Amino acid sequence: MKWVTWKNIGVDRMACIWLIRRWIDPKAEFIFIPIGEKSSPEDGEPFDIPGERYSHHGGHCTFYALLKENQINDPILTRIAQIVDEADEIQEVTLEPAALGLDLICRGLSQISRDDFEALERGSLIYDALYAQLKLDSPQ
Amino acid sequence: MSTWLLLHYKLPNKPSALRVYTWRKLKRLGAILLHEAVWVLPDLPRTAEQIQWLTAEIQEMGGEAYSWRANTIFGESDEAITQQFNQQVDMVYSDLLKKLEKPRADLQEISRQYQQTAAQDFFHSKLGYLVREKLTSKRGEKA
Repeated sequence: MKWVTWKNIGVDRMACIWLIRRWIDPKAEFIFIPIGEKSSPEDGEPFDIPGERYSHHGGHCTFYALLKENQINDPILTRIAQIVDEADEIQEVTLEPAALGLDLICRGLSQISRDDFEALERGSLIYDALYAQLKLDSPQ
Repeated sequence: MSTWLLLHYKLPNKPSALRVYTWRKLKRLGAILLHEAVWVLPDLPRTAEQIQWLTAEIQEMGGEAYSWRANTIFGESDEAITQQFNQQVDMVYSDLLKKLEKPRADLQEISRQYQQTAAQDFFHSKLGYLVREKLTSKRGEKA
């Protein structure tokens, strides 16, 4: 299936792409359209574009929407959703110190990558690492 | 020339919680409300993204929202607006500096407030560096 989002991916969309490939659609293909452009239905499933089903809702990030809409119940992924929420949304109370660092690293990854395709590969490595370590640290 | 993000919105009168929620989000972001009319932020990747999502959220809550990228042409200068942003963070920073002078200052609480304020310190206030320096030197001190 094809998935469409805006160019210049950051913390939330790197997380979404990683989630889509690992848990939702292993054969996913990604299309990046200019920022601000409306996606047309033939492009594919839009995500992290304002007003779409897979985007920010009720103060939660798009990663959170993907988990919820696809009924994925994995405590580690829920935790990652909290971290991405704090990195990508305005929060009055913060509980995840990793959020700010993750946001910085993902922004930086976009800066040093040739394009979004390279950025998404590198971003996936970051989220694989985050998942593995959170799993190790979680109560068994 | 600076570029600014402007936001103007209207939310239903009831429930008032939505208005408080939105107002608090903008305050947390460090936005300035000019003359009770328009919210202003410097145009940075992070602020632009936050305004994008907040605009969508206001619409989702049944409100109407407009956001612009803008340059000043007449009236108050960019410096005057920049100063307002600096004043906002400097107020907190000077308060923190005072607290740091006290014996047995609560360094944890001060550093929490410092980090929150630093996230809104778009123009790198000098006072911010001072607070940071003081906190760095104090944290090694033996009581």
